[in-house]
Amino acid sequence: MLLAVVFFILGILYGLGTINFFTESGPGHAHHVSHLVICWVLALLCLIWARFQTAPRR
Amino acid sequence: MTFVQALVLALLQGTSELFPVSSLGHTILVPALLQWRNIDRSSPGFLAFVVVLHLGTAIALVVFYWREWVAIVRAVVASIVRGRLSNERNERTGWLLVVATIPVGILGVIFEHPVRRLFGSPAPAATFLILNGLMMFGGEALRRMQHRAAARPDKPIERLSFPAALFVGLAQGLALLPGISRSGSSMVAGVLCDLDHEDAARFSFLLATPVIGAAALLEMPKLFAPEAHVVLIQALVGGLVAGIAAYCSVAFLTRYFRSNDLRPFGWYCIVVGAVCLALARKGVIT
Repeated sequence: MLLAVVFFILGILYGLGTINFFTESGPGHAHHVSHLVICWVLALLCLIWARFQTAPRR
Repeated sequence: MTFVQALVLALLQGTSELFPVSSLGHTILVPALLQWRNIDRSSPGFLAFVVVLHLGTAIALVVFYWREWVAIVRAVVASIVRGRLSNERNERTGWLLVVATIPVGILGVIFEHPVRRLFGSPAPAATFLILNGLMMFGGEALRRMQHRAAARPDKPIERLSFPAALFVGLAQGLALLPGISRSGSSMVAGVLCDLDHEDAARFSFLLATPVIGAAALLEMPKLFAPEAHVVLIQALVGGLVAGIAAYCSVAFLTRYFRSNDLRPFGWYCIVVGAVCLALARKGVIT
């Protein structure tokens, strides 16, 4: 769950252009969008993983 | 870009995307061989054209495997709702595809642009095409050695482990290098993880759908660039041709790999790569 939050925030920071790790310099807004998307996909996968860990067993 | 050039590139993309011979390498080498100097690969019009070709290819794959995709998506959603993983065939295949897609997604976002800038010319593409051929021969030789040494039986996709799926995904990441084939590298990794050729090809093609589709969707804004409208007709016809070519390719390859292996494609890559590398070194193609 914590990882999901981290990835979600990372995605926002990439979207806003606040962080530029592993991005190209220059007019690369679309490039930042791809970083945002991959971060949010990873956040979603972490949420699903957390669900698998915490769902009640029958 | 003329209409004929657009058609040739579309046919090339749709076919070579699924044959283990590197579409990226071919879209660099063929225009160079045909001396198509009027094509600016970085122009907004050309980039929009490429996006439509990828969309056409992804749609063809979805159409070809639509029954499997419906079953896989249903099974994956059901497992999320249930909050528990089971060994049901479609569910497990779905999660293996998710795991294998993660590395190529991350590697693609981080390295795609720098790698293309460094190696996006004929000489490196030809070199990597030769390496792609050698990789297929190496993979086939290793597989035969594994089977001879341990008499290991082939297993179906759903019996693949999650680390093995991750390995296939990482191998697929090699295809960022122009000349290394996405389907080739993932199939080699698949057969090394004890899939037979038919299942390795099916896993590779299923894996291609989210990868190619997501790449095309992320690049969609390029379709709406003002300069993109110049190639609108070429792009639409090209997307259709690429889709038909991709559909025919996957139909052919799924039959081919029932009883054949990767070696003929290995020979093709080595011969074409060597010829193109020789021409590039002599300055005939630049």
